[in-house]
Parts: sequence; structure tokens; C-alpha cells
Amino acid sequence: MKKTKQKLNLNRRNFLSGTATLAGLAATASIVPINISNANHKEGSKGLPGFISWKDRNALIIHSDKGIETHRSAIGESLITPNRNVYIRNNMPTMTDSQIGNRNDWKVSIEGVKNPKTFSLGQLKKLGHTTIATILQCSGNGRGFFEHKVRGSQWKTGAAACVFWTGVPVKAVVDACGGIDRDSVFMTSAGVDHKPTGLDPKKAMVERSVPKKVYSDAMLAWEMNGVPLPNAHGGPVRMITPGYFGINNVKHLGKVAFTKTESTVKYMKSSYRISPIGKKGSQYPSCWEMPVKSWITRPTDETGTVKSGKVQIVGVAMGGTRKVKSVKVSIDGGKSWKRAKFIGPDLGKYAWRQFALETTLSAGTYNLASLASNGPDKQPELRMENRRGYAHNGWKDHSVNITVV
Amino acid sequence: MKISKFLLIISIIFTLNTQNLFSEDDKMGKGLEIFNEIAGCAGCHILKAAGSEGNVGPNLDTISLTEEYVKEMVTYGLGVMPAYGEENILTKEQIDIVSFYVANTAGK
Repeated sequence: MKKTKQKLNLNRRNFLSGTATLAGLAATASIVPINISNANHKEGSKGLPGFISWKDRNALIIHSDKGIETHRSAIGESLITPNRNVYIRNNMPTMTDSQIGNRNDWKVSIEGVKNPKTFSLGQLKKLGHTTIATILQCSGNGRGFFEHKVRGSQWKTGAAACVFWTGVPVKAVVDACGGIDRDSVFMTSAGVDHKPTGLDPKKAMVERSVPKKVYSDAMLAWEMNGVPLPNAHGGPVRMITPGYFGINNVKHLGKVAFTKTESTVKYMKSSYRISPIGKKGSQYPSCWEMPVKSWITRPTDETGTVKSGKVQIVGVAMGGTRKVKSVKVSIDGGKSWKRAKFIGPDLGKYAWRQFALETTLSAGTYNLASLASNGPDKQPELRMENRRGYAHNGWKDHSVNITVV
Repeated sequence: MKISKFLLIISIIFTLNTQNLFSEDDKMGKGLEIFNEIAGCAGCHILKAAGSEGNVGPNLDTISLTEEYVKEMVTYGLGVMPAYGEENILTKEQIDIVSFYVANTAGK
């Protein structure tokens, strides 16, 4: 078969520069970007896309340049996930330094408050300062375990990280604006990373509404694990909504509004809805609060030969919007369970805890599973089947098989 | 009447089998045209074979895709990517051809 290769012709160039023929535009109405943004997603070094050449290639599984997962064994080695290991999931291209400009001049507008204002990052830094640890987890983490054909990155466990964020509490920003409109119901955050693409904001803007109550623990972050928030993770300013799925932690933040209704953009209205297989629509729940979840990070088939004798079974556990209370570990596929110990410091209810169980294993094969509880809720055995493979916290799929020699 | 009926049947069969009438080279050429000109895929994807440098969707040079998977993506869309089939932006024949083209150029 002959490989057809051709330079872009005049029509395509016109198309992209916004002077396409009417026929061309009609065929693709409002779906084609009219500006080419800097293609920083081209291949960089070490087999990584250019915009994240600084990451640790060995810690990562590359699904695409927009979906990069952390290896199971590269999570939980320390309580906090180092930036070089943190997963990437981008709905829009990461903004470049030249698109961002001077970071301290970056603007965030606050609406739905008594006195709406626009703050520069430099001004936000003077309103308040705090650090919190939260779990960043893609709504589709665990999608790779679903058996029906689910489009999107086939994440197993690695679209998750535990991160220290430094920034200003949203509450302090709101106070500087005279308080929230009383009749607001949602906190709605909008990114601006769609702007360089020229795409229709209704279809491309990442704008997410969460219940208003989330604002009390939310923050506008400019640092991630002690360094300025990398562009790849939404710098220079990102909304942090503790306990809520990653999509609500809006990158390249341009606006926070307290609103009476949910945003009507695609990423709120129809995407990220947990619907039955074969059904979709805005009537189904949005990907908001994360459920209780845990998984074993070692030993696994990634961590080498397991020798018989004493074995440390280690993992991470999260409580969602509540503190994780306990974790049990099974070495026989869930037939029997033993309580594991939490290890390392407690960084608050929105961070995960590391857990460990020391046990003695003789030669043979084992199925290792973990089951976390936050008090009222515990992990179910099975996944909740849904169309897009969201919010998977079933313990069985997350178990690992090991061979002890 | 009989002749017009015959012609109608022939034209239906021809339409249903148009895809099979294209040679693989034809499909590659037509697929490139759909990718660059008709569907505007080039605006959102990097693909060396098409000379495209779009930056919104995945870089197609770095991933290998089956024809079936591309068809599914093009038909139903994902995130900002339109559902070209569900929204009738492309015909089934166009989806088949552009999927063949992408599956045979991505990750190469």
C-alpha cells in the first residue's frame, strides 16, 4: 500500500487561519480551531512530550501525550507523589510560558460576590497563604479494568497522586470581595487554556461547577510540592477542590464565580456524567466527590521477585471527602482479611494514608487485595458499571497477583 | 419500469459497496483529504503523514491505533472531539475511510 503524503494545501492553511471556504466551515461548524497554538506536545526528550521532558520516564506509562499514567510501583514509595511522577491528563493543550507571560500578572476574576474583582497572582499572594495536601485523581482512574469498550485512556491505578498545594484559601479571596452572593448554589471555576486554540468555548472551555460548600476548603494554588505550579499541571494558578475528582481542580484558572446554576459548557453539562452503559445526559450525576478507595503498590509484578518469608504489603488508602479510618488486606483474594497499619504522617482527611501489613508467605501464588473504609462507607467488591468507566473503587479489580519463590 | 427498478437496485448496491470499490491507495488519498480538508482533524492533531500540527487532541504520531478504535472515536467523539457520526458531520463512508487512513498512519 502506497503511503500518501502531501503538504497542506491552500485550503487547509486558509481553514486554520480562519479564512476557510464557506463549504469547509459549514462542514465543521464551530469545531475546528482557527489558530494553531504552539505545538508543545511534540515529542521531547526521553520519549516524553516536550512539555513534560522534565518528568521521570521510568515512572510513567504513556497512553498518549494527553494521558500519562504513573506506574503502580511509583506511587506510595513516599507519602507525597513527587512532581516528576505525577500523572498527566489534559483536556486542552498545556499553556506555554509565552502564552502565560509574567506569572505574577496572571489574572483571576471573582464573580457572584458582593464586590466582584479581578486579582493578579501578585495580589492573590497578599490575601492569604496556606498549604494543604490533597489527592488529585482523574475521574477515569481504574477505567482500564472495565470490560465493556470504554473510550479514553485505559488507566489502572496511576491517574492519581497525593500533592502538597500552596496558595490562598478561596475563603480569604471571597472575604476580600465582601462575601458570596446569598442565593448562589455552586462554585463555578473556569480555565482559559482553550483560548489559544480558538475553539468554541461552549465546547472547549473547562468550566466546572461544584456545590458551593466546597469553597470552605478550596484554594487557589500557585505552588505544587514546593515549586511554582508547573504549566503542565495548570500553572500559574489552579483551583483546588479537596476530595473532588481532578476535573474540578481547574487548570490555568481565569475565573471563579458563585452561581445559581451549573455551567452549561460541554465539560459540565454532558461530559463527566456517571451514566449507565448505553445512556448519557446531564440528568446523571457529575464526577464530583471521590469515593473511598485503596490499592496495593508493592509487592506487584513491577517490583521484582518476591522471596518466601516475611513480606511487607504496602499501599495507599483514601477516604474521599472523609478521613480514611481503616484498611484491611487479604492475601487470598478476599476470603479472609487482616487489618493493616497506617504508616507515615497523617496529612489530613484529603490526603491519602500509606498502609502496611507484614505477613509471612511461603512459595506459591497469591492474590493481594486491600479494602478501605472511611466509617460510613467502605470499598465495594465490584466496580459500579457505567458508560464512561468513572469512579471505580471496587477492591477486586484493584487486587494484584504475585508469585512467591 | 423494469429498467428503472433495475437501475435503482444497482445504484443501491453501488452505494452500499462504494468503500469496497476504492483501492487502498485511493482510500489513503481520500482519507488524507477528509483528515485535512473535510473533517478538520488536522486542526487538532499532530500527524506527520498529513503534515498537521494541531495541539488539542492526542499526538497521533506517538500512538498506534486500530481501525476499529478510530471508528469508535470518530463516530462518538470524546471530550472536545465532536461525535462525527452521531452528529452526522461525516457520513459512515467518510468515517470508514478516515479511520482506515488514521489507523495506517498513526504511530508510524
